[in-house]
Amino acid sequence: MLRVELLCLASEVQECALLLARHGGFGPATREEAGSGGRPGEHYRELYLDASTRLDKIMEYCGVHDPAPVQDDAIAPNERELAGIDERLRTIWQACSGCHELELRMAEEKQRLAALRETYGRLSALDVDPARLLRRDGLLNTRLGQIPAVNLKRLGDALSVAGYLLTVFDRAGDQAFVVVAGPRSEDGRVENRLGGLLAQAGWRDLAVPPELRTDPSVAGHFIDEEGRRLEVMAEGHCDLRQHHWQQHAGWLRQARVLLTLARPLAESALLGLSGKGQLAVFSGWVPKRAVGELRSALEARFHGRYLLLAHEPGPDDTGKVPSLLTYPVWLRPFTGLVRSYGVPRYGEFDPALLFAFSYVLLFGAMFGDVGHGAVLLVGALLLRGRFAWLRWVGSAAGLASICFGLLYGSVFGYEDWIVPLWQSPLHDPTRMLALAVASGVGFISVTLLINIYNRLSAGQWADALLDGGGLMGLVLYLAALSGLRGAMTGTGFGMTNGLVASAALAAMAVGLGLKSGGSMGERLVVALVETMETAINLFANTLSFLRVAAFSLNHVALTLAVFTIAAGLATAGHGIAIVLGNVVIVVLEGGIVAIQALRLMYYEGFSRFFAGDGVEFRPLSLAVNNNLGVKT
Amino acid sequence: MQAAYLNTRVTLFKSRLWPGDQVSALIDAHDDELPVLLEQHGLKLLAGGYVDDDPRSLEARIVSILLEETRILLRPLTGESRQFLLYWIERFEVSNVKSLIRAKMAGETVSATAARLLDLGDFTRLDADALMRVEDVTELMRRLEHTNYAEIVRNARQAFEDSHDPFILDATLDRAYYDGLIRRARSLAPEIGASFEQLLAGLIDRINLVWLLRYRFNYGLPPAQVYYLLLTPGYRLTPERLRVLVAKEDVKAVLAALPDELARALAGVDTIPEVAARLEQTALDHARAVLDRTDHPLARTLAYLMLRESGLRDLRAVLRGRRLALPVDDIRLAVGA
Repeated sequence: MLRVELLCLASEVQECALLLARHGGFGPATREEAGSGGRPGEHYRELYLDASTRLDKIMEYCGVHDPAPVQDDAIAPNERELAGIDERLRTIWQACSGCHELELRMAEEKQRLAALRETYGRLSALDVDPARLLRRDGLLNTRLGQIPAVNLKRLGDALSVAGYLLTVFDRAGDQAFVVVAGPRSEDGRVENRLGGLLAQAGWRDLAVPPELRTDPSVAGHFIDEEGRRLEVMAEGHCDLRQHHWQQHAGWLRQARVLLTLARPLAESALLGLSGKGQLAVFSGWVPKRAVGELRSALEARFHGRYLLLAHEPGPDDTGKVPSLLTYPVWLRPFTGLVRSYGVPRYGEFDPALLFAFSYVLLFGAMFGDVGHGAVLLVGALLLRGRFAWLRWVGSAAGLASICFGLLYGSVFGYEDWIVPLWQSPLHDPTRMLALAVASGVGFISVTLLINIYNRLSAGQWADALLDGGGLMGLVLYLAALSGLRGAMTGTGFGMTNGLVASAALAAMAVGLGLKSGGSMGERLVVALVETMETAINLFANTLSFLRVAAFSLNHVALTLAVFTIAAGLATAGHGIAIVLGNVVIVVLEGGIVAIQALRLMYYEGFSRFFAGDGVEFRPLSLAVNNNLGVKT
Repeated sequence: MQAAYLNTRVTLFKSRLWPGDQVSALIDAHDDELPVLLEQHGLKLLAGGYVDDDPRSLEARIVSILLEETRILLRPLTGESRQFLLYWIERFEVSNVKSLIRAKMAGETVSATAARLLDLGDFTRLDADALMRVEDVTELMRRLEHTNYAEIVRNARQAFEDSHDPFILDATLDRAYYDGLIRRARSLAPEIGASFEQLLAGLIDRINLVWLLRYRFNYGLPPAQVYYLLLTPGYRLTPERLRVLVAKEDVKAVLAALPDELARALAGVDTIPEVAARLEQTALDHARAVLDRTDHPLARTLAYLMLRESGLRDLRAVLRGRRLALPVDDIRLAVGA
């Protein structure tokens, strides 16, 4: 990966951004890396975000989701053109928004009218003439209306403060129909006593036709009339969706293309774009192999009106260089599980392949059974929708389980159906445990080697040599293991092993002492404690691999438990117990083993060499990749 | 176990509260000493705020400190207690909602609006980017009705559509938030005990009385509307008492009709700012007592957060006052030091 600075004329900045996006090999630097200077694309980015938000809303409202193909020779809009697009989109969205708002209100009004129809029916049955009740020359100031039922108590209490009475005469859904009555003030205005109280409580006046008392059927006519009035009003405002969509459709599709073309500069403006006066500077990263191609593309388009500076990352770039992560198709499903831990730093060992291989192997070893593996395989192949990404991981785990099942000679727990290629775990548990520890030793040694490689790549020689996770850690680990093996087999720890392990321990302590700050006493304490901790951790992590054997034994033990329960039941019960028992084993134990395998990978493996704090290389592109700092 | 953890945490945090004499020392400190003093008390964030020229970022930094401490205190909490504390810090997001509405009413640009909003980090629940880019207040409110704040916003939209009065909007939003707080607190109170209820009483009664006085005598709203905007049922200010108080004709008459406990606390006070300041001080004294003596961890947590927020706002007042070169006595008056 090379650090690049691309200088171009400010007047050609959007074309330059577009070229970089079409090239697909330029990843903008972060804002901090881009350096000081003006932000030439800031306003452009704001316009783009406003315009694209409006366009998305319009398209969503009009139910249009067809893709907009971008021609190879299409050019990006400049700032003035983008402002024009935004303005026109604003006008269209305001029309859409007004129409949308009206539709929502209409829906609310329709609900209200439906409730009102019933209410009028009850009102007309009362021995009261509502029209007279509401007359403005009466002694009482009376209003009929509806409010959200949730506000009833509070409004009733508040009205009583002003000497008003609230009575509910009907309810429909979350609305209550009420009469509010109180003494009329001298000028006849309710507002004097109540202020904005009714509005605050969500009050809606109830229109009462004067003929309601004399001719109840008039309520039905009144409501029908209201409904028709609403329809007419809505139709008048909804020209865009119903009549003018065709008129705007062509332009809106064109606007979508133009905004796609404007996106690269908007994205750069947030990240690696700076500039001063007539010059703009794109700062970012380009894979080494793509620099020549990028230079040719720039030359062909700008004929020397650019300057491309490319250099190797410097010491200041440590931790900032993005990692270009490309994987073969079959490995991609596993990378999600690696990403959930983190992204490797630039130059670091990418653990995706190691993860895929080890994870599947560990799962198979812990869950080895031909039948259960086959169930997993079929189940994984049937996964669809949002779990589809697990299809390949599950299938691989199922296949590994089948392979180990063949080695163990187990089919749904029955160990006499096939001849084992190796042996059943329960036939020699000690051997299983020894093998598990051996696999742990191998795994941890590999992770220490990877860590040494990563430290050397980062130029951290002292850490690579003296750290507990470096060469001295590995030497200590192997020497101590060799000594322990000798002690357990009766040949003794061995002088050589002892000397080598002690020397490695001393070297680690010196390394830690040099690295830590503070007084000599503090350094000694840190060196002593941390060296001991590192040594203990190495062995504790190795013993953690005992779980591989433990789970393979557990698998057999669980099936034996199922068989024991089934043996105590009659024919039908026996069959049911066997089936249910196997379902429990596949679901429960399968899930636990999947988690345990992941835990071994993360904590005993990744934590030793993989900080996961790298930055993924995300090149500018015409496709949406959400580098704009907005939630989509 | 969880209670012991939380109690220990709160006790450790207690040392972060600034005693009055240290605030006083901060007022008198030399300009060069100030950032050092702040850093010594673990307030590096505020030291940065003192150095730069953006006063709003000081508020953002205070919120950031509060959120970080709340995040730690939340760890051992589960169930209703956790929900209560999460709701307690939702105040900051309600404040963002109000900022969004005001900005949209004023036709502010997106960048100006963004600068107004508090960064709530992981506690953010609103998609502020999308909300800032709506066309008008109506669209904003409609969108807010599809967020976690639907309950708070629904009434406010209708009230605003009828009146187009920003005050009504603010008052309705505030009331809806505190109604939710009281509801949650009442459901927890039997489990936690009197100390927790008294903390809430100090807060809610202060809010109720100050709102009542402001709405009634500063904004001139009629008694019925003022009553509707208050938090009922309150604590010492019961609905019956509030009905009496809203009908009074001036501040003096309201103060004379207060229940004994509040009347004693407000003896010698006769203006609305004095009422607010005195009641806040009383509530903080009570919070300090709860923090020192009560054994229920949630009550202590709430007391700590109240005191911490008040303390940080005092520090902000000191920093702002110094930056504006206000007389030392005025700064002392502002923070009560």
